Amino acid sequence: MRKLLFILLLAAPCAASAYDSGELAEFNDMYRTGRYQEALDGYNKIIAAEPQNPWGYYNAGNALYRLNRIGSAVYDYSKAFLLDPRSQDIRANLDFAMRQTGQRLVPEGAPASLHYLYYFLSYMELKALALLLFWLACLAGAAAFLLDGNRWAPSAGRGALSVVGALLLTLAWLGARQSSPFFDAGVVTKAGGTLMLSGPGDNFKTYASAPEGRLVKILDTGDETYYEIGLAREGIKGWALKSDIDRL
Amino acid sequence: MKRLLRSASAAALLGALLCAQAAALLTVTAETDRDSVEINGNLYLTVTVAGDSTSVPEPKLPNMQNFNVYSSGRSQSISIINGKITTSVSFTYILTPRFIGAQTIPAITVSNGKETAATQPISVNVTRASQGSRQSSRPVAQQRPSRAARNAAKKGEQLFLKASVDRRYAYVGQQIDLSIKFYTSVPLSSNPQYVPPSYKDLISEDLPPVRNGETVINGTRYAYSEIKEALFALTPGPAEIGPAKVVAQVPSDEPVDPFDPNFFQKFMSMSGMQGQSMEFNTNSIKLEIKPLPPGAPADFDGAVGEYTIAATADNQDVKAGEAINFSVTVAGSGNLKAVTAPKFPDLPGFKVFDTMSSLDISKEHDVISGKKIFTYILVPRAAGRRAVPPIKFAFFDPKTGSYRELQTAPVSFDVAKGDVNARAVNFSQASAAPVTASGSDIRYVSDESSGSTLPLLAASVLGLPWWVHSVPAVLLLLSFWLSRLNRFKLANPLLFKSRRARGDAARDIGAAEKLISAGNPNEAVSLLYDSFQDYLSDKCGIKVGAFTMKKAADLIKQRFPGVSERSLQEIRELWEALELRHYSPDASGAEGASDLAKKYSLLLEMLEKELK
Repeated sequence: MRKLLFILLLAAPCAASAYDSGELAEFNDMYRTGRYQEALDGYNKIIAAEPQNPWGYYNAGNALYRLNRIGSAVYDYSKAFLLDPRSQDIRANLDFAMRQTGQRLVPEGAPASLHYLYYFLSYMELKALALLLFWLACLAGAAAFLLDGNRWAPSAGRGALSVVGALLLTLAWLGARQSSPFFDAGVVTKAGGTLMLSGPGDNFKTYASAPEGRLVKILDTGDETYYEIGLAREGIKGWALKSDIDRL
Repeated sequence: MKRLLRSASAAALLGALLCAQAAALLTVTAETDRDSVEINGNLYLTVTVAGDSTSVPEPKLPNMQNFNVYSSGRSQSISIINGKITTSVSFTYILTPRFIGAQTIPAITVSNGKETAATQPISVNVTRASQGSRQSSRPVAQQRPSRAARNAAKKGEQLFLKASVDRRYAYVGQQIDLSIKFYTSVPLSSNPQYVPPSYKDLISEDLPPVRNGETVINGTRYAYSEIKEALFALTPGPAEIGPAKVVAQVPSDEPVDPFDPNFFQKFMSMSGMQGQSMEFNTNSIKLEIKPLPPGAPADFDGAVGEYTIAATADNQDVKAGEAINFSVTVAGSGNLKAVTAPKFPDLPGFKVFDTMSSLDISKEHDVISGKKIFTYILVPRAAGRRAVPPIKFAFFDPKTGSYRELQTAPVSFDVAKGDVNARAVNFSQASAAPVTASGSDIRYVSDESSGSTLPLLAASVLGLPWWVHSVPAVLLLLSFWLSRLNRFKLANPLLFKSRRARGDAARDIGAAEKLISAGNPNEAVSLLYDSFQDYLSDKCGIKVGAFTMKKAADLIKQRFPGVSERSLQEIRELWEALELRHYSPDASGAEGASDLAKKYSLLLEMLEKELK
C-alpha cells in the first residue's frame, strides 16, 4: 500500500518531465513568428511524449487554426477540453473554433454556470474519483466492522455511508456525462467536410454531408472503413469514412 | 430633420426560426443624413453591417440611376464580450442627385454566403437648387482656371479634359492632390463616362464628391465637373499618372438640309436626342518622388504626415487576471492606412494579447486625415502598482522636411488581488475601421509545460492494474467475516471451549511426556490428571471435578447419549488410575506415567468420535 501511494505521488512530476520544457519555448517562438507548421510539428511531439498534457493539444489547436485547418483545430481543442475542462483558455478557444463551424460549446439556452459545473471534472477525473471513493468506502466500512463493539464503530459506520452516498452521486454524474456531445464522439477533420452515406460503402446513396469541424456522435465502429455517425441537432445519422473523422 | 431608417435582416430572422444557433448573426441598416436634398447638393448614405465574426461582407449597392455614388470611407468596430464577437462596419457613400423629384434608394443587400440581409428602400426628395445655394456654389466656379484650361479655351475648344497636380515633387508617402476637370461650353446629350487614370508607383484615395461649377475662360462660359484624388508615392524616383479618359455624347453641329431624305433624323439629333460620341484624354503627368532624408530615428517605421499619439486605458483600477483595453491612438493627416503599430514595450507584469487596429478616415478639405487605434489586451499577472512606459512613435513631416519623435505619457495601474475566475475580456471601441486579419480571436498559445496535477493523478489512478482496486473489497469482506466470527464467539463460548478441548489435552500430553523424559513422573501425572478433568469439563460445559466419578459418568452419558459403555468404562479406569497416582505419588513409576499418557492419548481419539 505504501508503495502504491508512493507511485501515485510521484506520478505527476514524472509525467511533467517527459520532455524538455525548453523545447516548448522554441515551438511557441515559431508560433509567434508565424511558422505555424513548424510549431505544429513541435506541439505534436509534445503530445506524443505526454498524451495527458492538455496544453500540447491546446497549442496544436492554435497552430492548426492559424493554418486554416479548422476541423483539426476543433479536434485538438476538444481533446484539451476533455483533459482539462476547467481551463478558461481552452474553453474560450474551443468555443471560438466551434462557432466558426456553426456550433457552440454551451448549448443555447443552457445556463453557463450549470454547463461549467457539468464539465467541472473531466471524464477521466470522474472515474478516478469514483475509484477513490470506492476505496474510501471500503476502508471506512472495514474499519467499522473491525471496530465492532468499540465506541468509534458508529462514527466509522456513518463515515462509510456518507462516502457511499458520494460514490453514488459520482456514478450518477458519470452516467449523465455519457449524454455529453463529447462522449463517444468524433470531429470531422477532412477539409470541406465528409459525406454521409446510407450504408457502409460507396455503393450507398449520399444523402447528407457533415461540415469540417463538426462534432459528431459515433454510433458504430464495427466496420473497417466506415463509422456510423449521428448529428444530434439535425436528428440524422449515416455512414462516413473513418479517415474523414478523428475520434475523441 | 435628420431621418433615420433602419431595417432588420429578413434572412437573419428566417435563420432564427430555422436554427436557433445561427440566430440574427448578420444585420444591415441604412440611413441618410437628411430626407430632402437640392439638386446641386450632396447626401450622405451610411450603411452599417453587423455580424458575429471578425469580418463582415461589404454591402452590394444596387444600380442607382437617380444618383451618382461615391465611396467616402468606412469605419469598423469590434467587440468581444465573454467570447462573443460582434463586428460592426459602417460604409459611407456620398450621393449626388441627378434628377429632381421623389427618388428612391433601393434596398441594399449583404450576404456572407450563408445568410443574406437587406435594408428597406429609402425615399429622398430632390428639390431645385435655391438661389442661395447657387450663389454658394459660385466661389468654386470663380476659381482661376489652370493654364492648360486657358490654353484649351484659347483654341476655341467646346469641350476639353485637363488634369493637374498640386505638386510635381513630393516625398515618399506625402499626399499629392490630383484634379481632373472636364469643361464643356455646350450641353451634352447624356452623362459622360469617366475612365480614371492608371498610376505607376502611386496609390490613390478618392476625394469625393464630384464638384460641379461654372467658370469663364477667355470670355466663354464653361460648365465643369471636377474629380479629385489623393495620391501617395510608394517608392522614390520617377512616378507617373497615366491619361484619364472621358467619353461624351456631343450634339452634332452639321447643317440640316430640309430636303434631305434623313431630315427628321438629323433634326432630332440637333435637338439633343442623339449626338456624336467623342473621347477626351488628359496627358500623362510625370512626378519626381524624393527619398526620405537619412537619419531616421530608431522608432521610425515609414509614417509620413503630421501626427499625434496618445495612450489610454479603459480601466486603471483592476484586479489581477482581469483584462484591460489599452489603446494607442495615432491621429493626424497622412496615409493612415500605411501607419503601423508603434513598438509595444516588453511588459513582464502583464500578459499582452494580440493587437487589433481600427481606422477612421476623414477626407474633409481634401486632406486624408483621421486616426488609427491600436488596441492591446493587457492582463496583469499579479497585484501591485503596474505601469506601461511611454510608447514612442516617429514620423517624417514633409512640411518641415524633418523627422519628429513623439511619445505617450506613461499609464499606471493599481492592480488588486484578483478572483480566480476574473477573466472577463471586454474590449470595444466607439469608432473604428479595418481590423488586421491577424486572428486576435483565439487566445494565445500556452507556455505551461505540463498539465495540472489533477488530470495526471487521475490518469495514474486509472493506470493501476484492476486487481489493485479489488484489495479494498477483499479487506471489507475480511473485516466483515472477522466481525461476524467475533460476535459468534461471544454468543457461543462453550462451543469454542469444546472445540479447543482436544488441542489443549494434546498439548498437555506432550508437556507430560517431556516431564517424564526429564525424570519428573509425579508432575507429569498431576498434569495429566488436571488435563483429563479439564477436557471432560470443556466437553460437558460443566466443571466435572466437583462431582464424583459416577456422577461425572452419568453427566457425560446425559450430555452425550451416543457415548459407548466401553468409552465410559475407559474414562472410569483412567480417572481412577490418574486419581490414585495423583494422590499416591509413590505408587507411580516412570513407566506407569508413560502408560497413562498413552492411554489418555488413545482415549482422546475415541472420545473425539463419540463426544459430539
